Amino acid sequence: MASITIEAITKTFGAVPVLHDIDLSIGDGEFVVLVGPSGCGKSTLLRMIAGLEDITAGEIRIDDRRINEVAPKDRDIAMVFQSYALYPHMTVADNMSYSLKLRKTAREKIAEAVGAAAGKLGLDPLLQRRPKALSGGQRQRVAMGRAIVRHPKAFLFDEPLSNLDARLREQMRAEIKRLHKSIGATSVYVTHDQIEAMTLADRIVAMHGGIIQQVGNPLDLYDRPANLFVAGFIGSPAMNFVEGHCRAGVIETTDGSKVAIPDGIQLAEGQAITIGVRPEHVRIVATPEIGTYTARVDLVEPTGFGTIVHVHLLGQDLKIYTLERGIAVVGQPMHIALDSARLHLFDRETTNRIG
Amino acid sequence: MTSTHAAAPPNGDRRTAKQKIAVRLEPWLYSAPVLILIVAIMLVPLALGVSYAFRDIRLLNPFSGAFVGLKHFRELAGDGAFRGALVNTLWWTFSSVILQFLFGLILALLLNQPFKGRALAQALCFLPWAVPSFLSGLDWAWMFNPVVGPIPHWLYALGIMSEPSNILSDPETAMWGPIVANVWWGIPFFAITMLAALQAIPKDLYEAAEIDGAGPIERFRSITVPFLAPTMAISILLRTVWIANFADLIIVMTNGGPADRTQIVASYIFTQAFRRLDFGYASAIALVLLVLLLAYSMLIVILRQTMLSRH
Repeated sequence: MASITIEAITKTFGAVPVLHDIDLSIGDGEFVVLVGPSGCGKSTLLRMIAGLEDITAGEIRIDDRRINEVAPKDRDIAMVFQSYALYPHMTVADNMSYSLKLRKTAREKIAEAVGAAAGKLGLDPLLQRRPKALSGGQRQRVAMGRAIVRHPKAFLFDEPLSNLDARLREQMRAEIKRLHKSIGATSVYVTHDQIEAMTLADRIVAMHGGIIQQVGNPLDLYDRPANLFVAGFIGSPAMNFVEGHCRAGVIETTDGSKVAIPDGIQLAEGQAITIGVRPEHVRIVATPEIGTYTARVDLVEPTGFGTIVHVHLLGQDLKIYTLERGIAVVGQPMHIALDSARLHLFDRETTNRIG
Repeated sequence: MTSTHAAAPPNGDRRTAKQKIAVRLEPWLYSAPVLILIVAIMLVPLALGVSYAFRDIRLLNPFSGAFVGLKHFRELAGDGAFRGALVNTLWWTFSSVILQFLFGLILALLLNQPFKGRALAQALCFLPWAVPSFLSGLDWAWMFNPVVGPIPHWLYALGIMSEPSNILSDPETAMWGPIVANVWWGIPFFAITMLAALQAIPKDLYEAAEIDGAGPIERFRSITVPFLAPTMAISILLRTVWIANFADLIIVMTNGGPADRTQIVASYIFTQAFRRLDFGYASAIALVLLVLLLAYSMLIVILRQTMLSRH
């Protein structure tokens, strides 16, 4: 168990900068998820913690010990790879005990550790098989088993579920969470899947373009995204963005509609604004009232539990997520209300949140 | 009525004998062009060559050609030159293959590391492969010649030789001349195959092993070697058979001499067939070599299968 401190980390590949001045501290036993689109630098950051990439500038500490120059094997961390990286010519048991053997652990201790890990992950009947004879989910489990037998200071996960099908991914996600609850080890988890990030994380680190966009617990990022990137990245279906300008105390959208400014927010006259509203926060009302909008239904996408309705409104293809069935018919008009407390306002110049 | 009959699945009993034969023949007719080619250019010459081994075929004797049974093989059993050639073949083949393999593997490991100008280095390292074997044999023969070549003078300067002499003319050392030329010429083959196999190893495995605590030697032992083993086995097999049959360098550099000390079975066959023009005896020797190489190949193939099934 350990804390990880990342201080002013910068990384360049040749002349190409990939990480800019990253600061992050991860508490003892915390589960932190680095999330962002491909190429945002999240995997590079993880690999720097593991020692697989050099650190261009800055410092990484595990428990106040500087590890910039420490070899990966001496950092006492374990890593689970996207490809699992199981040794194909070794059995499951050998894969799991390899690191302990290299550390000259006593034979009985190895058997005990492998047995305990196998029990935890349901690998007992597979111990004598080779990776080739395992399914994707089983390989994933072996990769985790290999990480936990050593009781390392920290676990690093590099998109461990990306190679699994949707159903298995859901199952393994819950299992990883359960495992973390029972082991309580410090974990850093990289993914591009915001659902994985939301469900697993104690804290999410949203990254984009080599810069940390926002750090916070999952619901913070959902409720109060710090900028347009985080607002668009977290949540599914994705947040609607409506562009407009502040004119005479209201926000005038590109199609000339008017949206009231939420209470307590000061805007400059003429300021370029992007309004963000989550599809699940757009309300469908039965009768038009003051402040409601009317639009024609373009498209209806039933998802089973709910329905995504597309309407053309405020100069946008606006998505609405509703749990009511049969409420929308393509081509029919629909009345829509936006709760001003549920609107997110962003400055379009800086892309930062207002208020 | 007729249309329903035509649409019904063909019933074997109703077909005429001619139709049955046609159906049987059909696949053979499709594959006939390839089969005829294989028979004509592979099997016929092979059978002819094998048959020579049991016949008295001497080009200079117009009355030869009679069937002589096992006479050539009885002769072979008592042929001291053949036994010497057999021993020389083992020496030539295994030292060439082992050295080619070792240097080829080292070269492949070096070329697998990223460095500046790697593409150029790769191209240069594979160059010897493109040199015709006769040309490289001549080159090396000259390099070993103290009158025109530098190697004897270097060996003398290093104190390995008491005077700059030609190792090709010394019966004790002559074999090393063609072996060195062969190693130089054959390294690229192993370098190419090993490099291809190395590049197919997932990088993740090395990273996982590094985190697991494996040092460079342990990583080589527990990842590189198991991954390369099947490729090693098949390329060593191919090279062994090829080098055992490969007489070009020896013919060019020493012609089997001095005193038959570099005579291998392949060059002995060449000498018997094209110098003494005794095709019957040469075919008998070739048949023995074929059987030995087949036995060796089977051994390696079995070895490789066991290795692959462990993956």
